[in-house]
Amino acid sequence: MASKTSPAEGEGTIPETVIDMAELGQRLAARRKAANIPHLPRNAGMDRTPSKQALLDEIAKLGAKW
Amino acid sequence: MSGEGDGNSGYRPEFVAALQLFACVSEAMHARGLQRPILVGGAAAEFWSHSAVTTGDFDICTTRQPELEEEMLRSGFVRPSGAGAMLKGWVHPDLRLGFEVVAEVPMDGNVEPARLRLIRPVGETALFRVICVEDLIADRMGQYASRSAPDRIDQARMLLSLHPDADMDYLERRTREESMGDYGVEDITG
Repeated sequence: MASKTSPAEGEGTIPETVIDMAELGQRLAARRKAANIPHLPRNAGMDRTPSKQALLDEIAKLGAKW
Repeated sequence: MSGEGDGNSGYRPEFVAALQLFACVSEAMHARGLQRPILVGGAAAEFWSHSAVTTGDFDICTTRQPELEEEMLRSGFVRPSGAGAMLKGWVHPDLRLGFEVVAEVPMDGNVEPARLRLIRPVGETALFRVICVEDLIADRMGQYASRSAPDRIDQARMLLSLHPDADMDYLERRTREESMGDYGVEDITG
């Protein structure tokens, strides 16, 4: 559920709504099921910059399975 | 990090762990009186779509890259030894992911700062920032308009279907901006 931060916690001068990721995930799952919305595909990486590809190569060396 | 799992959120555990880490780094920046960095790109798409999109690379915007890298070092990130000159990002050996600062501000500075969202990750008290879903959808439409990614309109449609409460006025303006005027909300909903 969304909550409010105090001005001291937020970065502006007025209280700011905080989105709770757990609640968002449950809400999106319910919405997807109700409206039969497909999942977005995994990033195909058609336009990766050289720096991004280099980073992905390093991640792969760590044995990651994203 | 709290070390808690993903509970019933439905997000991938490794994605939750990554955002817990990002939030801790963000909180450290905030504690120094600096603005939290902003999550963009594929990880933002995974966050707002609740789909397994990212390939372990997390795109970040910050105007304070040196300070961010100090905090990332404290959180266990390393610059891989022997990495080529092309590598700009940092990896976290334990979580097997990478963070890369891709710009100082999201989308060439065209997002409204007040639209940046503040998020509490699953199982964490620290907070992080991410572009709003309207800007993410507009970003997809901009890529679609560039002819470089014809599938992006489908992503835009799925995202908007998942977020029927999106601000349509803002989405219309931002979609027009990102697509050089070629597309608007009706092209997404149509």
